[in-house]
Amino acid sequence: MDASITTLPFPAIGEGPRARTRVDHKNSEEAALVRRVQARDEMAFREVVERYQSKVFSIIFGILRNRNDAEDIAQQVFAKVYFSIKNFDFRSSLLTWIYKITVNECYDYLRKKRVRKLVYESDFSQEDAQRMEASEPAIDGSVPADTRLAQRDLILKLLSKVSEEERSLILLKEVEGHSVEELAGMTGLNENTIKVKLFRTRQKLLRAAGRLTRTR
Amino acid sequence: MHREIRDHIEDVLAGSQPVSRPAPFEGRPSEAILQDTREHLAQCNECRAEVSDMQQQTALIRELRAPEGFATDLRPGFYARVMERIEAEGPISIWNLFIESAFGRRIAVASLSLALLIGAYLVTSERSAEESLLALESQQVTTEQMIVAGEDAPAREITRVDQSPTDQSSEDAVLANLVTYREQ
Repeated sequence: MDASITTLPFPAIGEGPRARTRVDHKNSEEAALVRRVQARDEMAFREVVERYQSKVFSIIFGILRNRNDAEDIAQQVFAKVYFSIKNFDFRSSLLTWIYKITVNECYDYLRKKRVRKLVYESDFSQEDAQRMEASEPAIDGSVPADTRLAQRDLILKLLSKVSEEERSLILLKEVEGHSVEELAGMTGLNENTIKVKLFRTRQKLLRAAGRLTRTR
Repeated sequence: MHREIRDHIEDVLAGSQPVSRPAPFEGRPSEAILQDTREHLAQCNECRAEVSDMQQQTALIRELRAPEGFATDLRPGFYARVMERIEAEGPISIWNLFIESAFGRRIAVASLSLALLIGAYLVTSERSAEESLLALESQQVTTEQMIVAGEDAPAREITRVDQSPTDQSSEDAVLANLVTYREQ
């Protein structure tokens, strides 16, 4: 990683809203819905699909940047939800559980297609790259699309080096923007555990990046 | 990384926001914490370097967000397509794990090969056991015949019966037979 950045920007001052309420995942409205799905109530399953389909789709698209594949994988995610929901133990929120399945499916897809070396080598055309560049301006306006694609490829590769739980947690934190307190509520773990897990994940990612740089 | 930074790394990273969009739900750390971390980072090169790496890494991870304004509308009939897939796939059985994944297939092939090897070993070892049993039986029969035939013969004739002194089991069998025969 570029070590040229030495000045650290700091956050704005003041206390933002913090969700400190521990959610009881066993007695929520969502739990009732899950129990209906576990009892093979199709209407309940339809509700789950309709409630989370956009979220799942956007998570997949964020990782893969391919609309057709994203829809295909989204279908696979909900099929997996349908078959596995009997194993859902209410320790986390349904969204957290679905999120984990979604990320795993994305990584299964990447593994199967063996496109992690350069994710877009085969699927991503020049036209797609231009469209992406136009729709998503670069941070400083100077990073070309291919560099950003290579960076995305790198981070996907690094994320494959940590466990499923660590991957989901860091993505929920950084991609979905949930706070430590929210993550604690969503996963049923306490805040300190979340902080420790996140810190270890970050260190693992740095070590993996170091190893990757040395082997290149 | 030192503890004063490690304990508040999430606050530091949440506040750094080196990407185009802020984390939407993130709370903000208190001024006292920020002041402490700021002072420490100003003095500690090691922590500063590691925090800098983590900031860049965080910026890369945040690039995995779907683009702002991304249309999350799926094509109509998504639920129907999900149900079609569910019907096509059927319930997941333990066999799917072996059939569907490459690793599972390898395990299945390896298990099958091992089972075949064990089976082949058992069959061949059983055969050789049967053969040696038959050989022993035939040897016993011969011995008995010789004993019957040589009842009145001098003792040296009987000693000839023990033609395979190396075979302890056949020697035992002969002695047992001899004892039984004399008792009768």
